[in-house]
Amino acid sequence: MTTVNFDQLKAGDTIDGAAFAVSRESIRLFCDASLDYNPLHLDDDYMKNSFGKTNFGGIIMHGMNNFGLISRMLTDWAMPAGAIHRRLETRWLKPVKPGDTIRPAGTIKAKQVTSKSRWVLVDVAVQNQRDETVAAGEAMLEFPAKAS
Amino acid sequence: MAQAESSAASNFETDFWKDAKLRKVWDEIVPGEARKTLPYKLTQEAIALYCRSVGETNPLYLDEAAAKAGPYGGLIAPPSIHILLMFACTPADDWMRSPGTVNAGQSWSYNIPARPGDTITLQARALDKFIKRERLFVVHDNVFFNQHGDVICSGRGQTIRPM
Repeated sequence: MTTVNFDQLKAGDTIDGAAFAVSRESIRLFCDASLDYNPLHLDDDYMKNSFGKTNFGGIIMHGMNNFGLISRMLTDWAMPAGAIHRRLETRWLKPVKPGDTIRPAGTIKAKQVTSKSRWVLVDVAVQNQRDETVAAGEAMLEFPAKAS
Repeated sequence: MAQAESSAASNFETDFWKDAKLRKVWDEIVPGEARKTLPYKLTQEAIALYCRSVGETNPLYLDEAAAKAGPYGGLIAPPSIHILLMFACTPADDWMRSPGTVNAGQSWSYNIPARPGDTITLQARALDKFIKRERLFVVHDNVFFNQHGDVICSGRGQTIRPM
């Protein structure tokens, strides 16, 4: 991956994340790593129930697993350029289940120069193997102005 | 340290049903009221396990020699480590652990990285609650600090509460 440069970046440029294969094991590992043992992610019998008007039909991946994958994509892109991942906002649109393969991606939306720094705004999304968007949001990365 | 401090997952109650009756339901959650929190000592092992769960391979998180030569002068945690800290810094009766709690979205701002060996504290509260399309929502806000009182990150989220 070539190192990004603030001056050359433009709206519409894309950031590619790595594919992530979701399995019962990956979900269980995320339980252990996050300490989030909500039965939504563990208990098939419990998941036969309906939640309000929603029935998931089986265990689902943690929404925050999407968040972690987007964050990983952003830092992998920003850090080599000396940029800093400053903000990430996401909402979950569809549940992700064992057997799905998901992939985060970003699109540069805008650049902003402030009195003390430089910022890049990025639209982010995670899609599954059916090209359905399962999570979407916005990120903000800081490209500190070069000391001169 | 005199105060009880959770430092490993080994004493963490993984059965979220066990204390379910102690947790506040939507009706009892008071927006503005602080949540009880616990200091947590972040370890390199916990960081490595989190990295493995999301496929992080950045040497700044995992390779001490490389991290020492890097921009932070030592190992750091990835920004999204607050995913772990949220559960590590709250007690078993915290309502975030109620079985069936569905995360509807979050936003986080990052100041400085957490580091292995940091003792992390959390200030957290429910900020708002509302009903939308027959679902019960709570908005929570959270700020994580290191042992020097520096803000690591701050964030806000919405959960749909179990009914």
